[in-house]
Amino acid sequence: MTIEPGTRVPPWTMSDVDPGRMKTMAAILRDPYAVHWDRDAVAGLGRGHRVINQGPLNLSYITNMLMAWQGDRCVRRLQVSFADPVLDHETVTATGVVTSVETVDGEVRATCDVWLERDGEPVVSGVAVVAVSGEYL
Amino acid sequence: MTVVPEAEMVALIGHRFPGGSHTIEHWENWLLTDCTGRDQLPDGLAHPIALFHVPIQGVGTSIAELFALGQVEGAGSVGLDSYDWEYFQPLEVGVEYRFEGGVIDVERLVSARGNPYDRFVFSIELASPDGKPAARITNHWRLRR
Repeated sequence: MTIEPGTRVPPWTMSDVDPGRMKTMAAILRDPYAVHWDRDAVAGLGRGHRVINQGPLNLSYITNMLMAWQGDRCVRRLQVSFADPVLDHETVTATGVVTSVETVDGEVRATCDVWLERDGEPVVSGVAVVAVSGEYL
Repeated sequence: MTVVPEAEMVALIGHRFPGGSHTIEHWENWLLTDCTGRDQLPDGLAHPIALFHVPIQGVGTSIAELFALGQVEGAGSVGLDSYDWEYFQPLEVGVEYRFEGGVIDVERLVSARGNPYDRFVFSIELASPDGKPAARITNHWRLRR
């Protein structure tokens, strides 16, 4: 199987965004932003009593997709924009498509449009560059 | 409510973080990877998403200090606009990386809904113990006014 423009990246789904993981993440990041762990803090934002997933965790679902596809050492660049917060207990799916393949410093790399979607709408979108695994060359 | 003067924010351009070194610990990478919902990584690899908090901590600042620098506090005051993360080599647990960086741009803008905010951009570079570039991040945050 080769990789070429138009090749789809196998999707990766987080079926239940867990508020407990947000608390652990906040501790690791030393993140004082209460919207990630205090339901009362987000009540005034018009999104109900639901905490907001950290942006890096949203991006991690995209990186998990890329690593499941091309291996754990594959990620070379991530350029993403954040459109809308992801809330606890939502389901999101990372997906992507190859737009180009080129050789850089002797390494074959695939540039991909990537996005994280909820109910078919992107909440994170951007471009990722990955090193292509030997089995795909 | 008094809006932070634009000139105060623009004056942050060129602000340098202290710099320093930092080692990704096994426990933090284990928990971080677990939070992402995937199996643990082999061979001492750090999860790529470590490139959010590790540069901030390694360069000698913190999310709280960045909030203070940007004069924001409270729910809804901060949003993420975009990240540009470059990996020149896979990040590894147990390696003492060197960090340098600072604020590279601030611009007052107005959102599509007509609300003012500052686009706050900082960049941090990581180098491995042999001095070779390991990674570079450029983060764009939205500081709402």
